[in-house]
Amino acid sequence: MSEIVLKVVNLSKSYKRSALQSRVDALKDVSFEVSAGQITGFLGANGAGKTTSIKCILELARADRGEVFYFGEKGLSSEARAKIGFLPERPYFYEYLTGREFLRFYGQLANMKPNDLKQQSDILLEKVGLSHAADRPLRGYSKGMLQRIGIAQALIHRPQLIILDEPVTGLDPDGRFEIREIILAAAKAGTAVFFSSHLLPDAESLCDRLVILKKGNLIYQGATADLLQKHTSGYEISYQSQAGAKTDRVKDEKELQLFIDQLRVSKNVITEIKPNRSSLEEVFMEIAFDKKKTSEVHP
Amino acid sequence: MNAIRVIAVNTFREIIRDRILYGILVFALLLIGLSLALGQLSFAEQSRISANFGFTGIHLSAAILAIFIGSSLVAREIEKRTIMTLLVRPLTRTQFIVGKFFGLVMVLTSLILGLALVLLAVLSFLELKIELNFLIAVIGIWFEALVLLSLALFFGSFARPTMTVVFTGCFFLIGHWVDSLKFFVEKSESTGFKLLGTTITKVFPNLEVLNWRSAPVYELQVPASTTAPALLYAFAWIVFLLSLTSLIFRRRDFV
Repeated sequence: MSEIVLKVVNLSKSYKRSALQSRVDALKDVSFEVSAGQITGFLGANGAGKTTSIKCILELARADRGEVFYFGEKGLSSEARAKIGFLPERPYFYEYLTGREFLRFYGQLANMKPNDLKQQSDILLEKVGLSHAADRPLRGYSKGMLQRIGIAQALIHRPQLIILDEPVTGLDPDGRFEIREIILAAAKAGTAVFFSSHLLPDAESLCDRLVILKKGNLIYQGATADLLQKHTSGYEISYQSQAGAKTDRVKDEKELQLFIDQLRVSKNVITEIKPNRSSLEEVFMEIAFDKKKTSEVHP
Repeated sequence: MNAIRVIAVNTFREIIRDRILYGILVFALLLIGLSLALGQLSFAEQSRISANFGFTGIHLSAAILAIFIGSSLVAREIEKRTIMTLLVRPLTRTQFIVGKFFGLVMVLTSLILGLALVLLAVLSFLELKIELNFLIAVIGIWFEALVLLSLALFFGSFARPTMTVVFTGCFFLIGHWVDSLKFFVEKSESTGFKLLGTTITKVFPNLEVLNWRSAPVYELQVPASTTAPALLYAFAWIVFLLSLTSLIFRRRDFV
């Protein structure tokens, strides 16, 4: 079992939208864990409480109730902060700094030694593909470049836990691929990655574990594979009929056998039979929005 | 200490790369230049008019810098959400506020020192006798700018930048009017006015106690018995305002 680097216990937060309105529960007793070397996806619809959770975890906002343990210790101490990297949603950085100055600034804040900082900056600038723009002010960076330098900022002090809020939102496929590669490399190096995202195909392919919120409540915490497995139901059967190629779905093995017999009798050629696995997107729609997948089920 | 230094250096870098600073610098240099031109109009009082204008230029530019840049110093970090990545680092909110303060102090000091040297050159050229009171006048301007900066940071910890400029500007104007108000309060027979006037004189820092700008102009001496309590008074205001700012800032949610 990997070391638990972040443990959130019964985190609750409510706030007022305006002075006249009553309090709204943004988080209700949310509990989950993040382990070293794993990529944990933090999913939920807009307003589900993802960003609020991240802000409470990082003490940017005060939780009403609940406890957070960092590296086994309660509370965000200075030592714990030195082991955490963070990239907020839609980040905006000091545009008057060059990429290199920007990384130096954050490295200095993490008390890095000058030689180590210089070396680590060069390595990261190379890794995020920004060596060519290292001495250009950030005001001239594209959105993708800013996102990449933002990730480099989160990684500059070799954190053991990185928290990324929507790191791939708004990026083109190329930019998303690069960020994914950086996240995978960080996890491979033993860093715990906790990231929120709306892009479910990315989360499905990247995340070992998922934490899913719905209207401030935790609705799932566990392995990505387990969630998808739970939502695997029935089979998809493709065959050649006189009318052409067709694909149908059946609910279970019993129906599958009956359908195969039926196809044989009618002399159709079966071309493929596969378990009907739902994508994370479909599972998410089902559990977060109560929307069942619409599919043609035989008979 | 490292965190404060890093934030201060970055703030210094932020401001010196901001065009507004150069606008203020040009304004001050123009005023000092104008002082030379105006001095020419008066045969007898040339150096005094130049000194007067020169000190006004330094005073106003330091006040404008402290009020305008001080007002947006923290607000900009919140608005652009750069504060999110900073406060996650091993950095307390108090260290952040103190770092921002010292960053602008570095800029203010550079600006005031630079302009004072220009004025010194102008006054030497006009053969005005330069004494210790020149330095005392500059120190008075510097401390006043630090009080204004602390006020701007204080208001900026809970108000929007525009309102912060308005509030700090009011404190600047009223702060120079406190002595006159005290005089009117003493003379007034209305209890309502007395109460209001006394409250204002207690709530607003008296910036006039730091005004030693006429000393070099009229070759007056400012004794230590005047400067020491005034500087201590200004220092107490700075510490009080920064502590209050830090207290408010520590309780703030960044949502």
